[in-house]
Amino acid sequence: MIAYFLTITVLLLIAPLLLSFIKMVKMKLLYKKPISIFQGYRNFSKLMHKETIVSQEASQITRVAPFLILSPLLVILFFLPPVVQGAFYVSFVDAFTITGLISLSTFFLMLLGLDSASAFGGMGSSREAFIAALVEPAMVLTVFSVSMMAGDLGVGQAGVNLAAHFPKAHMASFLFAAISFFILLIAENGRIPVDNPETHLELTMVHEAMILDITGVYLAIVETAASVKFIIFASLFASLFLPFGLQHTLPVAIMLFLVKLFMIATVVALIEVSTAKLRLFKVPNLLGIAIVFAFLSLITFYVLGA
Amino acid sequence: MMLTLLVLPALLMFIVSFFKYEKAKYFLPISSFAILLPIIKLFMLTKPYALLGSFLVADKLDTYILLVSSLVGIGVTLALLTLDKHVKVSAKAYRRFYRFFAIFWVGLTLSILANHMGIYWIGLELATLSTVYMIKTNHTRAAHKEAWNYMIAGAIAISLVLFGIILMYASAKPILGEDAMQFDLLLLHAKEIPSPFLFEMGFAIATVGMFVKMGFFPMNLWLANIERASFYPVAALFSGILESAVVIGFFRFSQIAKEVNYAHLFGFVFVYTLLTIFIVSFLIFRAKDFMRLFSLSGVEHMALIVLFWVSGGTFAALLHFGAHAFLKPALFLSTGVLESRGKYRIAGALRGYKGKKGQLFWVLVSLFLLAIISLPPSPMFFSELYGFGAMIKTAKQSDYMLEMIGAILFLLILLSVIFYRFVAIYQSMKYEGKEEEKKVYASELFALIIFALCLAALLLPVSFVYLRSIT
Amino acid sequence: MGVDFFIGLFLATLIVSLFTSRLYRLILWYSMNSLVLGILALLTGKALDDKAMLITGIATLLIKAVGIPYLLKNFSEKFHFVRQIQPEIKVHYAIILIPAILVFTFYLSEPITHMINGNANYVAVSISSLFLSLLLMMEHRYVAPKIIGFLSMENALFLLGITATGGMPMLVELGIFFDLLMAIVVMNLLFHKEEEHS
Repeated sequence: MIAYFLTITVLLLIAPLLLSFIKMVKMKLLYKKPISIFQGYRNFSKLMHKETIVSQEASQITRVAPFLILSPLLVILFFLPPVVQGAFYVSFVDAFTITGLISLSTFFLMLLGLDSASAFGGMGSSREAFIAALVEPAMVLTVFSVSMMAGDLGVGQAGVNLAAHFPKAHMASFLFAAISFFILLIAENGRIPVDNPETHLELTMVHEAMILDITGVYLAIVETAASVKFIIFASLFASLFLPFGLQHTLPVAIMLFLVKLFMIATVVALIEVSTAKLRLFKVPNLLGIAIVFAFLSLITFYVLGA
Repeated sequence: MMLTLLVLPALLMFIVSFFKYEKAKYFLPISSFAILLPIIKLFMLTKPYALLGSFLVADKLDTYILLVSSLVGIGVTLALLTLDKHVKVSAKAYRRFYRFFAIFWVGLTLSILANHMGIYWIGLELATLSTVYMIKTNHTRAAHKEAWNYMIAGAIAISLVLFGIILMYASAKPILGEDAMQFDLLLLHAKEIPSPFLFEMGFAIATVGMFVKMGFFPMNLWLANIERASFYPVAALFSGILESAVVIGFFRFSQIAKEVNYAHLFGFVFVYTLLTIFIVSFLIFRAKDFMRLFSLSGVEHMALIVLFWVSGGTFAALLHFGAHAFLKPALFLSTGVLESRGKYRIAGALRGYKGKKGQLFWVLVSLFLLAIISLPPSPMFFSELYGFGAMIKTAKQSDYMLEMIGAILFLLILLSVIFYRFVAIYQSMKYEGKEEEKKVYASELFALIIFALCLAALLLPVSFVYLRSIT
Repeated sequence: MGVDFFIGLFLATLIVSLFTSRLYRLILWYSMNSLVLGILALLTGKALDDKAMLITGIATLLIKAVGIPYLLKNFSEKFHFVRQIQPEIKVHYAIILIPAILVFTFYLSEPITHMINGNANYVAVSISSLFLSLLLMMEHRYVAPKIIGFLSMENALFLLGITATGGMPMLVELGIFFDLLMAIVVMNLLFHKEEEHS
């Protein structure tokens, strides 16, 4: 139980760190003067001190939505597979629950965008809906496929099973699922080929467009939600597709897990530096690849057993 | 040694094609006649005679087909001499045509003699690729497009064949090891193949690949388009040599498939060929120029050959094959002459040939035209008689007599559609249209005479006896 | 396990190349595809202790993974290929079509996989990659991607050769390579002529 809560706390704590880390790596690679790795925390504390202003047109939703964006994600944190052997975990939560909770969070994010009654908010929300609709089927298929390989529908249990018995006989479908999941990780967190998190150019914004009108504490919460979302995806990837090192003692295992997370973050940063952002109507192509791979993973597993 | 002699004319052609000297090409027909020497020798040797280990083996079947295709090769070489008189072709392209023709010939000689599925495929692929360039010699937009089409469609067809070969090889590898590529061993051990389904699957895929290459359903028009767009000798080479190589592959594969499961083989090929002839007969009915007409009728005849072969009419199939292989190149080559002035006009095409040469030319062409629709003295007439006889005979042993008779009646109706169309075209060529002065060259005429003599030789009792001895 | 992983990569590179809309990217994916194929040949050859397959594996790496992509890129610079190659089949349909093809071929090859001992599944993968490369040929209008489709088809057949039969005779493998080079020569000539006349 201690390990369980410790993991959640650590994950929650390093969530802003990870996003700043990606930014730092990117700036280094572009020969810019890198920002501090702790910039995420600084932003958080700055926003906490700022005055919170709410648009005149905004309804009650703007006041409620930020909390509803963050809370489903926080709930998911409790359902993640364990990072160390013998730790407590919730075994019965399956792919649909996790996808559903993420969608719930996205739903409130879209409401928030619409509620500000500005043109940008609506545009961002419609784009987010467009992407989310394509992400969901692939997400369900992928997690489902991995769960099948692990022999258990529960995501937590699947992580444990994968660590115990790595699916050597199903490497092909495992690989397909990994490719699919990585594309989803990029798409759902608004990283570069899908959305550029750093720009406020109206033509390209998705995530930033929705939160353009909120300030202060609310903005801090929403930004935290974004970083938590990234850490959820990254740790799902780490425990489902890089399932090793769980047998070590607690500190070593957690360190190893963090190393995996930073590795994933580095890969994301590398992809961000080396690719250009896709046009919005090209995004379905990328997500189409994800869907095809997710499906391929399932049928390869079922029909061929490979 | 034997092998060297067999590919020598082609090699000489390859070398000569590099000389810039204009007159060098006149040497080629003479040298190509030299190929007949080793073939005659092959006929006398006891068979099977190993030309190159177990890879290239001459038996009765492939010696016959090699003879036929070599004669076509000689005829085409003769007719090629006057290519530049009928069509516009630059000296460089002309030489290059010779060069790729040589590669084509070598590849197909290998294919025909191969006793090894792999070698068979390699030869076929070599020929396919060299054809692409031969099509391209004609500098028109259409020819360019068709060259690419041939490259792509031919590559698909040939890949299907390789795919089938791999599956067949995989099916027989457990009992034969690396030798599972050899036709004779496969035939010998056909009954012991551990996974007949795998073999049949491979056979079906390879057959579809070969059928696509011969222009069967559903690719009925692609050969016609290509032959239309390219120079006329290409069409002659297609029908005379390339199709011989493809069809011998089909003969060999089907011999094995027959041992594995005759009913499946027969059903598959029967339906496929019937469908092909059904579609082709209507396409022929609508054809408006010589090339298309002849190449579609070529598809029809190939379908008949395949049908006769799987019905057990080996003799009929081989006779039909020989007749087809001589008649079609002859017709395609004469198309080049017929079309050299006033492009696609059918009406009056046979009129206006003056002098001894001209007279002989139109008589020969009319004979060929009438022979292709199997009017009696033509070998095609006999082969169709024997072929339908073989089909009935096969049906007698099963419970499908009525269906077979129905199918044959259906076939006869389709053939009569083709017959009707050809007679109409012949009449229009001879009796309609204006009379214009036209010219024939000695070398073409010589080629046509060779083909006519070969056709007559097919009807000799000796050749009947030889063809009957092939099983 | 290793072979399983690479066979997955093989199919993955092919599927990604179905969605590619730039020529150089497509060539890169083809090169990756051949690279994986070469590694597969080496792995299988090592497992079977088959010297011939090791040689063909190295030849694959040299010719298909490096040589042909390099030549194609050269051609594309020399003859000014159209480099923006939008697939004719829209992505929305491709998303449905590709899994349909995969399911179809997997079930099609199911009876076969029971008959081949050893790497049974790989036959299914190579057959489906054959169909996918056919799709690649069909979905493009320009010649260059069609050629890459043809080459991928060759790769799929090669994969079938090494997995289904445990290696074809050396002679045949070399013959196939020879034909491949011949194909490149013919292509060069075809492009050359195009250049001269336009």
